[in-house]
Order: sequence, then C-alpha cells, then structure tokens
Amino acid sequence: MAAACRLWRRPGRALLAGPGAAPRALRGLAQGPELHFGFQTVTEEERREKIYQVFESVAKKYDVMNDSMTLGIHRIWKDILIHKMNPSPGTLLLDVAGGTGDIAFRFINYVRSVRERQLQRKLKHHQNLSWQEIFESYQKDKCNSLGDSQVVVCDINREMLKVGKQKAQHLGYSEGKSCVVPCLSWVLGNAEELPFDDDKFDVYTIAFGIRNVTRIDLALQEAYRVLKPGGRFLCLEFSHVSNPVLSRLYDLYSFQVIPVLGEVIAGDWKSYQYLVESIRRFPPQEELKEMIEDAGFFKVDYENLNFGIVAIHSGFKL
Amino acid sequence: KMAAAGALRRAGWRLCRGRAVLRCQHSPPLRALQASAALRRVSDEHKKEPLTSPSQQQFDPHPDGHQPEQEPQGPRPSYTGQGGQESEDYESEEQLQHRILTAALEFVPEHGWTAEAIAEGAKTLGLSVAAAGMFHSDGSELILHFVSECNAKLSELLEQEQKRVQLGEAEKKPTDEFLRDAVEARLRMLIPYIEKWPQALSILLLPRNIPSSLSLLTSMIDDIWHYAGDQSTDFNWYTRRAVLTGIYNTTELVMLQDSSPDFEDTWRFLENRVADAMTMSNTASQVQSTGEAVVQGLMGAAVTVSNAETSRAVR
Repeated sequence: MAAACRLWRRPGRALLAGPGAAPRALRGLAQGPELHFGFQTVTEEERREKIYQVFESVAKKYDVMNDSMTLGIHRIWKDILIHKMNPSPGTLLLDVAGGTGDIAFRFINYVRSVRERQLQRKLKHHQNLSWQEIFESYQKDKCNSLGDSQVVVCDINREMLKVGKQKAQHLGYSEGKSCVVPCLSWVLGNAEELPFDDDKFDVYTIAFGIRNVTRIDLALQEAYRVLKPGGRFLCLEFSHVSNPVLSRLYDLYSFQVIPVLGEVIAGDWKSYQYLVESIRRFPPQEELKEMIEDAGFFKVDYENLNFGIVAIHSGFKL
Repeated sequence: KMAAAGALRRAGWRLCRGRAVLRCQHSPPLRALQASAALRRVSDEHKKEPLTSPSQQQFDPHPDGHQPEQEPQGPRPSYTGQGGQESEDYESEEQLQHRILTAALEFVPEHGWTAEAIAEGAKTLGLSVAAAGMFHSDGSELILHFVSECNAKLSELLEQEQKRVQLGEAEKKPTDEFLRDAVEARLRMLIPYIEKWPQALSILLLPRNIPSSLSLLTSMIDDIWHYAGDQSTDFNWYTRRAVLTGIYNTTELVMLQDSSPDFEDTWRFLENRVADAMTMSNTASQVQSTGEAVVQGLMGAAVTVSNAETSRAVR
C-alpha cells in the first residue's frame, strides 16, 4: 500500500501541475512517511516544521498580504461564511487555524447585531412597561451583549496568535469590558489533536487553514469529536476552478503575480510560492466532501464562490 | 403526480357514488356543535403536544397524493427515532428535520417563523442551535411543514367523520354545512399562531415557495371536495376547486383581522360566502336555462323577421 502510494508522488515542481495525480496523495489515509510541501516531497515532521516556519515568518504581514493577493475579496468570502453560519446568540464557536482572528471578530459583530435586534423586538413587545422596568432590563442585558456567545480561536502557531491578540486589543474586542464571561479566548493547539473535550462546540470553522494540516482526516475526526450533536462544521478554503479559461488566468495570476507580491510586501518569496502550490495540491470540492462524509458528518454540501476559486464546505454532526 | 392523483380520485368517486345523491334533509343543531367541539379539541391537542412525531405516523399513510411535502419523505418511515441521540443514527436526516420543525412550532408565537424558532426547537431535542443551519434562514421550511401538518390533520378528521357516517353513527351533512365545517376546522388550526400568520403568508408568497405552497393549498381543497362527496351541483371540477379556494383564502384574510370573541365574525363571513357559492350555482343553472330560452327567442324572432322580409320582398 505504501509503495503504491509512493508511485503517486510528484518530485520536483511543475508550474501547471494537474491536480489529478495529487489528490490521491492527499487522502491522508495510507500515507507513507513522504508528503508534499507545495510541490516538494517531505516527511510528515518536516512538513509540519516547514509550515510552522512559513507562518511564523508571514505572521506580521499576514493580513496585508491577504488584502493584496486577493484584492480585498477575502473579506467578502469571510463575510459570506459568517452569513451562511447565521449564528444565533448563545452559539459557541471554535475557530481553528484562526490565527489573526478574522472569523472570530466577524462572528462577534454578527452576534452582537442579532442580539441588538432581538432586544429591540423584545422592548417593542413590552412597550407598556414602566420606565423603571425598561431601565432595569437595559442593565440586565448590558452584561449580555453577546447573549452568552463565545469564540475560541485555536492555532498551532504562536506568532499568529500573538498577532491576533494584538489586533483584538487594537479593535476593542478584549474580554472583560461588557461580558460577564470572557467571550474571546486564544488557545494554542493542533487541529489534528485538539485540546478540548467532546461535544463542546456548536460550530467549528476552519478558514484557509485545512490546507496546511498534515493529516486532514485526523483534523476532520477531531472536528467531529468536539462538536455537539447537531453542531456544524464549516470549511472555507481555496478550491478548484473548473472553468478552463478562468483556470488559466487564475494560474497565471497565482504563479506569476503572487510570489512577486510576497517578495515585495513581505520580503518572502518562498512562503508565497508554497502557498500557491499548496492550493494546487489541495483536493477538489467533491473529494473534500467525501472526506468530510467519511468523518461522520451528514448533509455535507459545498458552495463555490468566485467560480471555484474558493469553496465553503458544510456538514452537520447528526 | 398531483393531476394524476386528482383525476384518479374524481374517476373513483364518480364510479362508486354515481350521480344519485343522498341528501341529508336537515342536520340537527346539536350535531354542528358536536362537530366543532371535536375540532376544537384537535387544535388544542396540536397546541399542547408539539412533539407529534409518533402521531405523525397515523396521518401519513394517506390516500393518493397527499401534499407533496417539500422534504421527500422517502420510503414510508416504519420507525421513528424516539429515544434521544443514539436513535438519530437510525432515522433518516429528513425524519430528524421533521422532528426539529415540529419541536420548533412551539416557539413560533414568541420568535415568529424564523431560524431562531428552529434553533430553539433543535435545543429542546438536545441538539446544538447550529442545527438550524440545515434549513433556509427565512423559515420557509418551517411554515411549509406546518401547513402540510395541518392539512394532514384535516384529512384525518374528514376521514374519521366519513367513517362515522358510513357506520351510521352520524348523518351526512349537506354540502354547504360540510364545507363550512371543514374550512372552519382547518382555519382553527391557525389560532395558536394567528399573530405571526401574516408573516407566514408573505413568506409563502415568495416566488421560491409558490410551487410548494400552491400545491399544498390545492391538495387540501381537493381533499375537502373529495370528502364532501358528489352532491348535485352544476359546477364542474375546476370551478368547484376555484370557488372553494376563493372562499378559503378570503376567510383566512378576514380571520387575520378579526378581533371578535372566538372569531365569530369570521365564521359568519364563511357562512355567507358558502351560501353565496351555493346560490350562485343555482343561479348559474337558472341563467343557463334562461339564457337558452332567450337565445331561442331571439333566433325565432330573427327567423320571423327574415321571413317577413322575404315575403314582403316577394310581394
């Protein structure tokens, strides 16, 4: 089995490598000790180490690079993810590989506005209350501006978490001010082996992170484990473009423009070369859907954004 | 599927009953009271037991084409997950969705027909609130589920009544009374949710939902006519359907704005509309025969005039 797998490895690099051969290597099930790092072949430990170094070096410029590479569109993708989630107040979110906290902040904003609307509706119903009672209800709800919602941001990389925490403070999302319970927590952890108990979270998200996980099947199993029954798994990730014309343009942009941007803005060509290659190596939509189903999720579905440049996969633990 | 089912039903009852109609001369007022008392009890039950999944089994095996529900039920469920989380592995996703929606109905008066109500429903079943993500965020599925549940209950009621008539325990009602009672029974099921019903109606009218909501409506109307039996009215099938749909829809709208005790005004409006429909059918047949007479008269006059002309010309 391992020998057969090794036959599928593609040594060296090829610019327009077809994704056909690669996915089989990525099944993560009967892998030999050799894996891919972009278009290089490495061992499992080496891969983890290399990926850690990539993100360590890009951490400070991560957000800037995201904006320049995707021309700011990544914000819209993340907004769409949160809208699809449609969280209600009281939801517990686990954002894995959520380093700089983009998803977490959007989640908090969304839940806050939903909560505000809820409170407004409640007040409209109670318009016959006395002024005293209204004021008291304000006091009661002030401590509950999120309605018991919580976010845990988990990342394997300390640098990314550091950047995230700084951003949170800068934007005013720190715990303690208006919440009785800390609503935003930062945890160091590996997606393949989460430091959480079973059946804890309502929603598990992984945005642009699952590509970097060495054993995707393990990460999916962990996701299944920590979710409550009825909980939702959401994965936002670069995926495969089926339209041939668009695909060519996309490849051109990816391999010619992005590494250059990486060098100019972040001073790091290699990391962004890795990024682009890892996107090409990642399984296409249908295959990822099957992997999610293998982990035990039901009602698994995906939604292509921008013709497949990015896809949101969703599954439920039923 | 719907058209075929309707056609079969029509053919079926024409063959069985023929055109001879047994008309019940009078229905004692006591019987009318009994009927509505029973109906009210059902709607109370609906209020008290939102988790009706076991009883759903009774409603479901119904004759032909009972409301193509928006969630395909798949093979007739022979089991329902009763015992909590583990049983979810053995029931299908659709069955679980059904249970969640049924549980969510309890929260509709407070939250409206929204994803929030569905989330609360999921919570009562021990699931995470994220399970509401399985449904559309505007609550369409919840409303459609509710409508098909009500239609199923109505069919059940009418079926039972028909059985009682067949067993001789009850007298057959005249058409107008039957229609009145059936529509009243169906509309009474809305009473617990009446405040949020306008919202539901507007969602049902969204282009996306119109096919499902329309088919649910027409199959309910068909059901009522099926159980009303073949009375001697001169309506043809389409007119009958259109008339009752009109009566149902207008009564529903009146009910939304009715503030009288126990919706008395609505039932009176309903009575009048049904009476109108009945007289209209008589008038229609009268008009038809009068029309024919008039036409014949005109034809005769025309012939006479032309004869007179020709004879004058000839002379």
